[in-house]
Amino acid sequence: MAANAAYPIIDADIHNEQEDRALLPYLPEPWRSRVAGSGIGYAMSGYWSPVGVMRKDALPPNGARAGSVPELIVEQLIEPFQVEAAVLTGVVYNISTTHDPDYAAAICSAYNDYVAHEWLGKHPSFKAAIAVSTLDPELAAREIDRLAGHPGFVEVIISSAARFPLGQRYYHPIYAACERAGLPLAVHPGAEGGGLSTAPTAAGYPSRYLEWHTNLSQMFMAHLVSFVCEGVFVKFPGLKLVLVEGGVAWLAPLLWRLDKNYKALRSTVPWLTRLPSEYVRDHCYLTTQPIEEPDNPQHLADLFNMMDAENMLLYSSDYPHWDFDAPDKILRKLKPEARRKVFYDNARQLYRLG
Amino acid sequence: MTVHVVLREEELAVGEARLVAVGERELVVYRLQDGFYALNNYCPHQGAPMLAGRVGGTNAPSDVYCYRYDRDGEIVRCPWHGWEFDIKSGRSLFSERVRVRSYPVVVEDGKVGIRI
Repeated sequence: MAANAAYPIIDADIHNEQEDRALLPYLPEPWRSRVAGSGIGYAMSGYWSPVGVMRKDALPPNGARAGSVPELIVEQLIEPFQVEAAVLTGVVYNISTTHDPDYAAAICSAYNDYVAHEWLGKHPSFKAAIAVSTLDPELAAREIDRLAGHPGFVEVIISSAARFPLGQRYYHPIYAACERAGLPLAVHPGAEGGGLSTAPTAAGYPSRYLEWHTNLSQMFMAHLVSFVCEGVFVKFPGLKLVLVEGGVAWLAPLLWRLDKNYKALRSTVPWLTRLPSEYVRDHCYLTTQPIEEPDNPQHLADLFNMMDAENMLLYSSDYPHWDFDAPDKILRKLKPEARRKVFYDNARQLYRLG
Repeated sequence: MTVHVVLREEELAVGEARLVAVGERELVVYRLQDGFYALNNYCPHQGAPMLAGRVGGTNAPSDVYCYRYDRDGEIVRCPWHGWEFDIKSGRSLFSERVRVRSYPVVVEDGKVGIRI
């Protein structure tokens, strides 16, 4: 079953979970009483899927939440696929669609402490993302500063469900803190359309999960264009951005369009002294899952040739979620050296592992 | 072609499924209202174990904004990506070309066998 006998794998997106009450020991009042009484209370998208969110074979036999038993993650993913490092991304970034900035920041801090104490030592492959809320970027920056230098945390993660495009100056304290800490920033979807976030598609609220999930790529296109045009990578030249679970096949045509428009409209973004696509190539990574699967796999390989895919992609499984990608079943058209970069080298360098 | 007996009829109630081994093969035997069926325990997409997939019905093709729930107990969904397969034929519900391998089942004298 091992996917790549010649080299191990780094998985950039594994969703560890926990019962809400697991955060109680790490929460100060008044938040502890709130969570003890009524749970965390995420504001999720509300869209329903007949498939559900979890892999049916990843539900622990004791009725616990999928992703909440470290030993099962090791048994189903880490060992069979020789995963050398797994970035635990959690789900707590979704807190950004709730309404109280102080509460959201407290949940993130409690979760980060919980992960540091109860997950990072559980298996040598486990690394983690620092969850922060976008509801108050100054509080988020303080949280990043607090945990900077902890060897188990290899990135910062925020939700792509937000009030407005993520490149805008309101968010910049988060990016300054990531740069100070030397940590990449990951952006992850999930709560699009919930709480105080924007509509989940540019056209508004679709009727079904099928449409919602397909259109998540729109959110990533809009945020990426914003990051570039707002000058985030000029202002924070050390910042690396990881676009998680937003799809990859859209990137090349989006950048063609952006570069073309830049030639006429450069004067509106005079801080960009190179083509927009060059900033993306230098600063951005995309995780692979859920990988697009055209009937003819060569079509995806052709699209990859239109971008610097082998240097920009990071393998991710999304375990234990329903749209999990098994490392030995995807991207088989990539040449061996490109596969090695996508499944291992790129993440090892980005996260400074090994 | 050999018939490999894998269980006795009364061991599986209608609506139940059971993992069986025939040589190197892992198969899932399903008992539906009208009899026994066997599928590979391996989804053709990414190899998920079909045994963990939920069995139910589905919405049959219909007019726009009409829903016609049908085939209750005859459709299995892959436990990972949710692809739907007809237990009786192994065929996916979205493409003629995609199917879980299915095997003929023979019931004789209360013994359930798979013809391979």
